[in-house]
Amino acid sequence: MIWDYQSILANWPVIWRGLVGTMHMGFVCIAMSMSIGLVVGSARYSRSLVFRIPATAFVEFFRNTPVLVQIIWFFFAFPVFTGIKITPFWAGVLGVSLNGAAYCAEIFRGGIQNIARGQWEACRALGMNYRQTMGRVILPQAIKRMLPPLTNRAVEMIKATAIASIIAYYELLHSARIISSNFFNPIESYTAVAIVFIVVIWPLTYTTRLMEKRLSVSD
Amino acid sequence: MQWDFSPVWANWDFLALGFVNSLKVFVVSLLLGLPVGLALALMRLSQSRLLSWPALVVIEIMRSTPPIVTLFWVFFAAPLILGLRIGSFEASVVTLGIASAAFFAEIFRAGIVSVEKGLVEASMALAMTPAQSTRRVVLPIAIKRMVAAFFERSVELLKGTTLVSTVAYADLMYNANALVQETYRPLEIYSVVALFYFGFIYVASIITGRVEVYLARTGEAGGH
Repeated sequence: MIWDYQSILANWPVIWRGLVGTMHMGFVCIAMSMSIGLVVGSARYSRSLVFRIPATAFVEFFRNTPVLVQIIWFFFAFPVFTGIKITPFWAGVLGVSLNGAAYCAEIFRGGIQNIARGQWEACRALGMNYRQTMGRVILPQAIKRMLPPLTNRAVEMIKATAIASIIAYYELLHSARIISSNFFNPIESYTAVAIVFIVVIWPLTYTTRLMEKRLSVSD
Repeated sequence: MQWDFSPVWANWDFLALGFVNSLKVFVVSLLLGLPVGLALALMRLSQSRLLSWPALVVIEIMRSTPPIVTLFWVFFAAPLILGLRIGSFEASVVTLGIASAAFFAEIFRAGIVSVEKGLVEASMALAMTPAQSTRRVVLPIAIKRMVAAFFERSVELLKGTTLVSTVAYADLMYNANALVQETYRPLEIYSVVALFYFGFIYVASIITGRVEVYLARTGEAGGH
């Protein structure tokens, strides 16, 4: 068997466009899921049932449904439901980021709840108000602890964008399919794309692990 | 817009058949992933670089590539390299099995590392060999500590089985797609399928959560 690198190198613009597609969707998903997750996470933390029940329902529903099913639903069922036409990009973003938002909400909630109650009491004893306690004591510690799981979630979301290739969104896996169907070189094209994914994602997972290790030392 | 669920109810057996296939993929991948994961974990913990490095490479690669990319690689590229015919079922369980093995390996490893050194030393003092100490002392304690992470991963695997529809294995999602193409009712079919997946996985998460609580109560601090 001869490896045909030439057909991959000659098609670098296709792979590049796929990488741009993957990163574009990845960043939009990360931004959306963190903002939605922050809102939902605070709502889950709220004392009022009016906020807590819908937020809990949101988290449970999106955490317990496969991303692929959500993407397909948004692409094929959502337009029938609402009459709004949706592009593969937005169907993918909705599927991946709502799922991610449910996880982020739990990370935010857990991060704040895991700070020992005694610290709140200590701050109150020192005469700090809610905002001062949150800003000076709780959040700095919570953010430090939330960083590794949030990075982990970001990685999972970038990986999940590859599923959007099934509705023909132009990302890395789609590039591989284009190249392999034109040049009949599935080995080279799928291997090349897998390598691009590893090059993008491995540094992120490695950083997460470093952060976790450092955190467990400093705590 | 008119809701019409009749295509779903009329073809419920077709969808049920798909779900049975999904569960088949889940069970076989799990049965493959657990021993491979344990082997990878033990290799990583080994003193010999000859064992620990290959395990590390496999784990890092599987954790850094989206499972759907690995699945396509196994389905389209691996048969040409190996000169074998690989069906969609085999490709699916090999991919999902090894992808979960990489995560299971880290869970096993973290569980094993968490066991106090003193216990290992005590078992050595009682003249156990390293293998005996691992099997009789370290693993039983470690496994109990890993249960939560292990269940979480298994639920992820269950969700991941939907990927196999992309290589034309007739799981629930694939059959739902086929039904949509025949009846043109994407809204009803996909909504029912989504709610079904949610219901099944939600119940699975609740049950595993209960088991975790039960195990935690039966004492992890060496009550036996």
